[in-house]
Amino acid sequence: MRFNVYQREIRGEIRRLVRDPVLLGLVAVISLLLLGFIVFPLVKVVQHSIWPKGVFSPKYFVQFFQRSYYWRPLLNSMVVGALVSLCGTAVAFLFAYGITRTDIPFKRAFRLIAIMPIVSPPFLIALAAILLLGHHGVITDALRLNWDIYGLPGLVLTETLAYFPIAFMILEGVLSKIDPSIEEAALDMGASKLRTFLTVTLPLAIPGIASAMLLVFIRSLEDFGNPVVIQGNYQVLTVAAYHAVTGMYNMPLAATLAIFMLIPTLMIFVVQKYYVARRSYITVTGKPSGIGLKSTERRVKAPILAGMVFLSVGILLMYGVVLFGSFTKLWGVDNTLTVKNYLYVFKVGGQYVVDTLEIALIATPIGGILSMLIAYLVVRKRFVGRGAMEFVSMLNFAVPGVVVGIGYILAFNTPPIQITGTALIIILVFVFRRMPVGIRDGIAQLQQIDPAIEEASSSLGAGFFRTFTRVTLPLVAPAFLSGLVYMFVRCMTAISAVVFVVSAGWQLLTVALLYEVDQANLAAAAAYGYVIIGIVFVAILLMRFVVERLFKRGFSPLSRQ
Amino acid sequence: MQKRARRILLIVLVMALGLTLAGVAKEALHIYTAYDADQAEVYIAAFEASHPDIDVQWVRLSSGQVLARIRAEAANPQASLWFGGSNTSHIAAAQDDLLAPYKESLAWQYMPAQFKDPDGLWIGLYVGYIGFVSNTEFLAKAGVDAPTSWEDLLKPEFKNEISLAYPFSSGTAYTTLCGMLTAIGSPDPGFDAQDDAYLAAFDKQVHHYNESGSACITQVGQGEVGVGIGFSHDILSKGIAKGYPVVMTFPKEGTSYEIGGMALIKGAPEPELAKIFYDWALSKEAQDLYKQFFRIPLNPAAELAEGSVTATDVQVLPVNLVWYGENKDDIIDHWHEVTGK
Amino acid sequence: MTDIVVRFEDIVKIFGEGSRREVRAVDHFSLSVEGGQLITLLGPSGCGKTTSLRILAGFENATSGKVYIDGRCVNDTPPQSRDTSMVFQSYGLFPHMTVFENVAYGLKVKHTPKLEIRTRVAEVLHLVGLGGLERRSVGQLSGGQQQRVALCRAIITQPKVLLFDEPLSNLDAKLRKGTREQIRQLQQELGITSLYVTHDQAEAMSISDQIAVMNDGRLQQLGTAEAIYARPANRFVAGFIGDANFLPAKVLSLDGAGVKIACGAVEMVVEQSGERFAPGDEPVLLVRPEAVDLVPEGQGDLAAEVLFSHYTGSVVLYALSLPTGERLEVQVANPQERGLLPLRSTVGLRLHRRSLRLLEKEG
Repeated sequence: MRFNVYQREIRGEIRRLVRDPVLLGLVAVISLLLLGFIVFPLVKVVQHSIWPKGVFSPKYFVQFFQRSYYWRPLLNSMVVGALVSLCGTAVAFLFAYGITRTDIPFKRAFRLIAIMPIVSPPFLIALAAILLLGHHGVITDALRLNWDIYGLPGLVLTETLAYFPIAFMILEGVLSKIDPSIEEAALDMGASKLRTFLTVTLPLAIPGIASAMLLVFIRSLEDFGNPVVIQGNYQVLTVAAYHAVTGMYNMPLAATLAIFMLIPTLMIFVVQKYYVARRSYITVTGKPSGIGLKSTERRVKAPILAGMVFLSVGILLMYGVVLFGSFTKLWGVDNTLTVKNYLYVFKVGGQYVVDTLEIALIATPIGGILSMLIAYLVVRKRFVGRGAMEFVSMLNFAVPGVVVGIGYILAFNTPPIQITGTALIIILVFVFRRMPVGIRDGIAQLQQIDPAIEEASSSLGAGFFRTFTRVTLPLVAPAFLSGLVYMFVRCMTAISAVVFVVSAGWQLLTVALLYEVDQANLAAAAAYGYVIIGIVFVAILLMRFVVERLFKRGFSPLSRQ
Repeated sequence: MQKRARRILLIVLVMALGLTLAGVAKEALHIYTAYDADQAEVYIAAFEASHPDIDVQWVRLSSGQVLARIRAEAANPQASLWFGGSNTSHIAAAQDDLLAPYKESLAWQYMPAQFKDPDGLWIGLYVGYIGFVSNTEFLAKAGVDAPTSWEDLLKPEFKNEISLAYPFSSGTAYTTLCGMLTAIGSPDPGFDAQDDAYLAAFDKQVHHYNESGSACITQVGQGEVGVGIGFSHDILSKGIAKGYPVVMTFPKEGTSYEIGGMALIKGAPEPELAKIFYDWALSKEAQDLYKQFFRIPLNPAAELAEGSVTATDVQVLPVNLVWYGENKDDIIDHWHEVTGK
Repeated sequence: MTDIVVRFEDIVKIFGEGSRREVRAVDHFSLSVEGGQLITLLGPSGCGKTTSLRILAGFENATSGKVYIDGRCVNDTPPQSRDTSMVFQSYGLFPHMTVFENVAYGLKVKHTPKLEIRTRVAEVLHLVGLGGLERRSVGQLSGGQQQRVALCRAIITQPKVLLFDEPLSNLDAKLRKGTREQIRQLQQELGITSLYVTHDQAEAMSISDQIAVMNDGRLQQLGTAEAIYARPANRFVAGFIGDANFLPAKVLSLDGAGVKIACGAVEMVVEQSGERFAPGDEPVLLVRPEAVDLVPEGQGDLAAEVLFSHYTGSVVLYALSLPTGERLEVQVANPQERGLLPLRSTVGLRLHRRSLRLLEKEG
């Protein structure tokens, strides 16, 4: 019975698709792109692991479980992931609660600090950790401590600080959208504020907390930059896979490690998307209340404020020490200030700056428009394979960058598509890697628009293309442009996938940073880091300026009435 | 009409974009180098100065990484020349038929047999000796002298205080490993029971491994670890000359050495340009550049720096570099087994 | 010779088919609309009227059944290629465009020459009383003005079918009356076949050529306002349009004059074709509140007691109870003339014979 219904629907959809050639063309092109640049590399990874050289051989799979230096990194990664997701969510909750539910001062500053790590280059926090807390770090020496930040403590510290912003953004949204009348009702019935918090607020926030924890777990599992610097002897899977490729060119091994990296992240992704997200008790499209219940007692505010101040100071200290380090002559020995490191960056890395900017400036608009197109198709149109398209384009969210990098080398080193060594492959990595976030944002923006507006356009005879360009895009333009900036920032700070696809012809700043870190040239690395931050900063300012000038007219996408 | 024009413009733009990307690459020479970036800068800038019509595009990777990349690109080589790096990796590459022979250069004639491949697949540029570098402040605090033997490295004071590179990615570390295997137990190439025991014990002394061979020197200088193992020229140029509080020592049983090599890549995109660079790299003019980095040039006409460590200054082990080059993969596998890393 | 411009043929629409939350929004709906007519789909929310409209527009796809525009099946035609224009409840105006750009949009799509666009836009704006407002941004207009702009935008392209999706529900009452008159006037002048959806009976009754009353996805009755009011086809229609009292009745016999029934103790003849009824049946008798005269006790057809009265100035609505226990509402105009009846007083009810109607008793 169900299958017949399904069949009938499919046939109807196919018929309708054929009658609308523009839509058909678009769906076909996008499907091809998704298949070619997301699915195909993954297939190659699986193929190389189990069918190396065309012969079925689960040798590496078996070896994975036998050799401790294969499976231990997986175990380590999971341990780190679990700890980071706990700590990161806890820190994020502290900030989110403080900002949305109390009346502490300096909220804007705290918010800014909570978001900073997102736009930072990779390695920066780990670098700061070494400069401050390493064997010869500033704090270590000042307090004459005898600890070892490398290994598990360093990994947990750096990844917590690096990824808590993700959890923060989710929790901030969740906490601010809880209907205040629910809590007021509890108080009205005599529950104390603490009881209300524990029995009403917290349970309502649990789906959000669960989402945050799962997403932070994924990001921690796929983190490459921080472990490279600070893992010490506590090896994690991403770095092991990296060694397998760049140190040994053992592709079947790399592919196998990649698969074991992929399994947990995919599972978590599916759980988060199809289980946790569905159980949200808070409507996403509802406007944040803003008014909600605010704690004003000192015994609640004080510890929260203290905690936030402590963490913020820590974060600022980290950025500060790296900035300082970038100006030192010989870190650890001679702290006289000099611009020598920046001169080095522009001398040796001048071409890298140009290359990176060129590639980022090409990838950003392509990625932005493609994401918006897919978001539009997924939200507004019905056609055969829509669910599949949505799933595949979001897939890269769960695929670790290292796996993408390995997949791209395997897929595009030989005909039919042979593009290793070109800028194109780097651009493709950027575009498809960042797409899920762009699509998710695009979907959120489109849902803000009254569908009647686009239906009116269709009703008046406009086809898909005209409706999209003349009506939809202008309405989402401000948010779209902000999304572009985010995309640009991610291009400037990406490392885990692109480290595999750079070449003699095209080099990237983040890879140059990696090199300096490799060489323990901490001051030069710091200088690279701040050059990247500088570029990102300028880009963000520029975009704000443009958006404000262009959209001074002040219309905004209408919400549903 | 206007819309038509805009559409055409868009198509033209897209095509132009496509062309730029599709690798209408610059007319240039692509090389992989295992020299540190700041040193490579100097060498390559000197080459470009005397050859203004050639633009060199280079990527810096450790020797093991260069080997891995050349293997990866075997079907479609992206670079033409492999400039620098321990020749054990060159030997391994030669075995895999990844290099192109070149015997026609003058330099090839005068180079002694032990510093070149009989079939012309690689040639030596410089020699380097493995040494230990220690942070003087650490030594004072721990109350121990700098290590002067391979056995010294197992001392309890050095537990968790040593850093060096992974032997699979770094030529320096691989050379070090070959030295250990020769010095400990039987000097015959390969692992024996005593080598296994030593390596297992040594691994426990290591705080962490790096990707790059000379990173440990800077880390020792910064005080992040107490002892590092690297090449004397690197210890001199990156440690002592920089002003870090470090001291260099050598193992009295004898130390290992590397021949820094160069080779043409088989199937290269720019073989002729590569040969021009190759010839230049062996000239006195080029080899004189090694002076500022304390490397020992193999061109007898080139100058030596003050303070560089030569064969007369250290005890040299009879390391069978050719054997270790040909059997690199097996040695590395065994290293993984013993250390569990 | 009438031409059928729009035809719904046995349309079924099921949402969430196969899942637990399956909803049958439209259930075998068929309707033909002649050229130049304005037909209103009227019914409570959830009756399927909006869904049917959207299926015609192309924004929803029917689960089964066919839709024809001018004789051509348009099931698989995308909305932009059907010759329909829609006026939306929330107007759907393009907020980033001026009035002129909004109205001109459909013409631009057809590549109409600029000069012609300018003239036609000016014309149509003038028609609705918005002449001269071309340059205004739509955000600066009042609700009523915005609705008229939406109307202009839809009619300027001279579509074959004009669709209205509850266009007036966002306007306040006074504005609604004026605007609906304007819409009807325009529609008649231009002669555009129109399908209009609303839940407001007064609106439907005042502007439509015919009304299609819907409930539960099904067409209950198609007819003029008068037919629907005076001769409702079933209990739902009777209760939905205007106010209604239903009294139990028993069929005694059928003859040429009509159907003889017993209602309580009274026997009367209802002028109605007796095809649906047979002696012994128990239908309900529809008695409209205004179709009853109040007479002194003892006179008339039935006796009743006044429970309470709602005085509204021009009419008074009495709630009365019959000896059998049933409640009845009666509306008396100009209560000032006779004065208000006191509570608990007994009166006689005389039913207006010609206004009575028998309907199946639905269970």
